[in-house]
Amino acid sequence: MTEVKLAVGYNEYEDGQRMNTEIERLSASPEAAQLTSLIIGDWGQAYENSSDEVVEALVKHSGSFPSLRKLFIGDMSYEDCEISWITQTDLSPLLAAYPELQSFTIQGGTNLELSNLQHDKLEELIIITGGLGKKVLSQIAAGSLPNLRKLELYLGVDNYGFDGSLEDILPLIQPGKFPKLTYLGLKNSEIQDEIAAALADAEVLDQLHTLDLSLGTLSDTGAEALLASERIKGLQALNLSYHYMSDEMVARWRKSGLPADVSDQQKSDDDEDWRYPSITE
Amino acid sequence: MMQSALPLILLCSPGDKRTAGIQQARSRLGLPPALTVPYGELLEGVPLSELLERQLPDAVLSGALEQSMTGIQTAGPTPERPERQRTEGRTLLRLESPGGSFALERALIALGAPDAGEQDDSLHPFGQQHDPYPLSVQAAGQLKELPGVLHHPSQWFRGYCRLLARVQWEASRILPAARWQNHPGDIAAMTDKRRTQQLLAAAGVPVPRPLGGAQPPADYESLRGLMLSERMHRVFIKLACGSAASGVIAYQINPATGAELAVTTIGVEQYITRPPVYYNSGKLRRYTVSSVLSGIINWLYSHGAYTEQWIPKAGSAGVSFDIRQLVVLGEAGHSAARVSTTPITNLHLRSKRMTPAEAGLTDEEQHQVRRTAVQALSAFPRSAIAGIDVLVSSGSSRRTYVADVNPFGDLLYDVEYEGCSTYEWEMKKLMEHRIISS
Repeated sequence: MTEVKLAVGYNEYEDGQRMNTEIERLSASPEAAQLTSLIIGDWGQAYENSSDEVVEALVKHSGSFPSLRKLFIGDMSYEDCEISWITQTDLSPLLAAYPELQSFTIQGGTNLELSNLQHDKLEELIIITGGLGKKVLSQIAAGSLPNLRKLELYLGVDNYGFDGSLEDILPLIQPGKFPKLTYLGLKNSEIQDEIAAALADAEVLDQLHTLDLSLGTLSDTGAEALLASERIKGLQALNLSYHYMSDEMVARWRKSGLPADVSDQQKSDDDEDWRYPSITE
Repeated sequence: MMQSALPLILLCSPGDKRTAGIQQARSRLGLPPALTVPYGELLEGVPLSELLERQLPDAVLSGALEQSMTGIQTAGPTPERPERQRTEGRTLLRLESPGGSFALERALIALGAPDAGEQDDSLHPFGQQHDPYPLSVQAAGQLKELPGVLHHPSQWFRGYCRLLARVQWEASRILPAARWQNHPGDIAAMTDKRRTQQLLAAAGVPVPRPLGGAQPPADYESLRGLMLSERMHRVFIKLACGSAASGVIAYQINPATGAELAVTTIGVEQYITRPPVYYNSGKLRRYTVSSVLSGIINWLYSHGAYTEQWIPKAGSAGVSFDIRQLVVLGEAGHSAARVSTTPITNLHLRSKRMTPAEAGLTDEEQHQVRRTAVQALSAFPRSAIAGIDVLVSSGSSRRTYVADVNPFGDLLYDVEYEGCSTYEWEMKKLMEHRIISS
């Protein structure tokens, strides 16, 4: 596998470097034909500049990357841009331009769209956001991804763009929606309990080996629903890490013999509110 | 060897970790213990001479005084960098951190009061500027210890500069031949980030671009105006005299949506009938509401603050880091990468510590960090030791920038260099340069 990451940092952007010319240069390089994985990092002040030019350049030069199987748009940290401020665009033209793609990861939900989500070979779709809009959720539900094995959605919070509700998530878990799906992540959500309760006895569980409900606000309420389910017993992995469950509930999971990851228990704010003196070093 | 009995005088809080570290280092190297002059008693008004006499046999002190009469004239109020000749046995004065106790903080705020009597503000880099809502000596004396509360940062700093000026003057009278490891004037300059960055920039050391240049922001409104007009949408605002993460805000404006976001350790207690109380929280907070943000930011500027471009720091997998690099007499020694999942990397905010190599710096990048740190300390020619905070920018350019110069930045636990702790290595270098004798 050959992988390249392109990034235009603050300095480079100020110096006039642009992501579309970086993509063009890569497309003309000898390694382009063998490239299997491409990571697009910061394209320069992504809170202001959308990924439009990235999409345009990657579509234009798609013929130069015949081996590309894995694509990541927006791999940047808070040092470059807040995740919830990364400005995306309609990324579905990339799927049409790369029919052999197997894995597609997107970070940043602002202005994100997947208007025409059709791909016969895509196996992984991962969307990392601080808040995923219901429009995108409906576009995913309306899409056609017959070969999808892994769907991982960081749903986020109202403040950062999650304007949906459980009703917008349910279509994604309809039986037969993604016939080959084995990994479902509906995570990083502020309605994690509702999602857990809705999934606990959902038919989709029967086809999964992993259910990932991590990084959200899961509490004892959602956990009770999961524990009461017969269906979760067929899972090979249940990721509940980063949660707000009680010590008792964590102990129940440990005793259950189920393959649940209940690490990274969060405490109430009071415990975190320690103060430190100003002059300590 | 009478002179060798007084190689090092520490102005410090005896018994704290720093003093213990220095004494331990000296004992390991077979050096006599340093004499300690407690800040507490200095601040009660006890003269330096009296505090020294208590510890020194008369003969030794008079020996020192006698030596000073015939000694070299460089060691007056503005001593130059130590010369090599005649250094054996000359006393070295070392100022340690004045932090660590509320009693000292309160006494320094009192010393910075407008009614603290005739005081010398000459070491305060911006001494002519007024401190907001000054506290009288009496009011300062009545301050209660409240965990983390920032009682009066600018008046604290004024008091600290006055103390530095006083010990400098007293030392020049009783020990004119003595030298400062770091000159009090340099320590005052290093403790004021505005002056630090000015001096670094003037010396050609790479620093993050200051917002506003010669017309820096003075409040929330001018901050936002300058950020938009200079297109510097992400900045660090730092309390000028803050230590570590105290009074630091990572602030950004989204020019597309108008949203704003601050990440900081500053917590606020709001009251209806009196002004808010600001404190250092152990938990990073995120503020997005203008009315709250303007309150915090205006308060910070009223006490003096420095604003610079937020350089995206190098890192990987959701973490970023900066490097604390110890420099002693032009040589880079111990270093530690402070790795954090937040923009603020200070160690006591539960950052993880790694070696620079573990953090992902190449040999050449490590070399560049060390070179930059040495260059930074050379901007303070009257100082021998400092811990320099160096950033490496993300992206392909990987440039180095100096974010801070810490006169007491050598308290690094469990980091060794050439088989030594930080304090042992410092003592060795001071001996090699014949600044202290064995």
